[in-house]
Amino acid sequence: MKKIINDPNDVVSEMLQGLVKAHPQLVYFDEVEVIAKKDKAEKVGLVSGGGSGHEPAHAGYVGKGMLDAAVAGNVFASPSPDRVLKGIQEANTGKGVLLIIKNYSGDIMNFDMAQELAGMEGIKVETVVVRDDVAVEDSTHSTGRRGIAGTVFVHKLAGAKAETGATLDEVKRVAEKTIANVRSMGMAMSPCVLPGVGKPGFLLGENEIEIGMGIHGEPGVEKTSIKTAAELAEILCDKILADYDVTGNEVALMVNGLGATPLMELYILNNEVEKKLSKHNIKIYKIFVGNYMTSLEMAGCSITLLKLDEELKELLDAKCDTPAMKV
Amino acid sequence: MEYIELVAKKIELNKDYVTELDSITGDGDHWVNMNMGFQRVLKDKESLASMKLSEMFQKVGMLIMSTVGGSSGVLYGSAYIKAAKVLGDETEMDINLLCEVLEAELNGIMERGKAKPGYKTMIDALYPAVTRFKESLEKGLDNHTALQELKQGAIDGMNSTKEMEAVKGRAYYQAQKGVGHIDPGAVTMCYQIEVLVDYLCK
Repeated sequence: MKKIINDPNDVVSEMLQGLVKAHPQLVYFDEVEVIAKKDKAEKVGLVSGGGSGHEPAHAGYVGKGMLDAAVAGNVFASPSPDRVLKGIQEANTGKGVLLIIKNYSGDIMNFDMAQELAGMEGIKVETVVVRDDVAVEDSTHSTGRRGIAGTVFVHKLAGAKAETGATLDEVKRVAEKTIANVRSMGMAMSPCVLPGVGKPGFLLGENEIEIGMGIHGEPGVEKTSIKTAAELAEILCDKILADYDVTGNEVALMVNGLGATPLMELYILNNEVEKKLSKHNIKIYKIFVGNYMTSLEMAGCSITLLKLDEELKELLDAKCDTPAMKV
Repeated sequence: MEYIELVAKKIELNKDYVTELDSITGDGDHWVNMNMGFQRVLKDKESLASMKLSEMFQKVGMLIMSTVGGSSGVLYGSAYIKAAKVLGDETEMDINLLCEVLEAELNGIMERGKAKPGYKTMIDALYPAVTRFKESLEKGLDNHTALQELKQGAIDGMNSTKEMEAVKGRAYYQAQKGVGHIDPGAVTMCYQIEVLVDYLCK
């Protein structure tokens, strides 16, 4: 294992300290591993989080027009309820807080508990659960579909809605509408190594890839031989379209890298996905290419499609300014 | 607090056994997590001992939750916090209150984990233990017998997980692989009940 770290036990806090040094508009809370905005506007607060190792998620999305606070757990482990509670307290300006949770059993339990603790303090909290991954119905980490890169769109659109001064119920409605319209599918070419473990979480042969694995490297649909970018675009898009037919619609597209895939390859894939979608008469309104929801240094990608209507388009276009996304 | 100390010791001593069980079906980190949680509670034993019962349970729950993290942390945390609510202003624990506390812990874990008996989890040790304990008290059996029923219920329950297929948790995806092996979560739960009964009977 070769990594730029000091001590595996300190990776989360040292990463977040480094992040706020680069982005002084954010503030870091030691021990609870919470990142929040320094300047608070009076509006519905948005909080997300989860295990670390998915950078720039989640702290990278804290800022104007997206999240108000992000809560980090240890690498690939859900943050505990007291950490999430701190995130809620920081995001709350009296108008209530929406928790955006990815569907993993540990996250669900810890965020639920945090919601109860916040309720005891009189803070109004609502939750939404993202389940965009069409790969498998249940997984090693979830009952029902996993939440992956599509979560970033939920942060963006719900964040834009909150910025308009909307109520908690309205922001929640937009988050749920986004969740209902977003689908993702991924593939991996190499595993990742947890800093505290020091060896790969799963193994792939020299010419082998895994289709549909999760963002912790948990099992997907099948192991198969290496494919061309065009074939990969075909496989991933077909799986999404089989689940959710957006033919004739407008979509936002995200071509997401998992940490160790160069932008060169992501742009090549994007080129192929665009061709594939236009064949299906799917109009792409906006494209995001980059590392948005990663798995440490895993090589691979995911494709996310978000079906748009006028309301969602407007929210997608609204200004946002965060370390990892600016519109 | 003496009880927590004994549990911590019991868990510490059984590192290899629990870790081996967990490596078969899970990530192999269950022992590390449980050990970390109880050792953390021990660190605060003096301040905990000076608290009233419900405060102590609440604090133990919060400590385990924030130290362990992940799923086990929040499940045990929920259990202790639910128990704290039952305790209210009580200053002394009698056997009927103990039964209520254990039942509250069981319900806390089942609600939080959205799980039931038969899923091959820690619940399979706690559920039969609490059920048999409660029945014994309702039948008017003496305290010693009722406590032995509690312990035996946990042991039998733990052993019954051997033939179960996992429905929830990490072990689920290797459901078949787990058959023939006792669930590590049920083992550590059983330890806690055994230690409790032995401590009370002494």
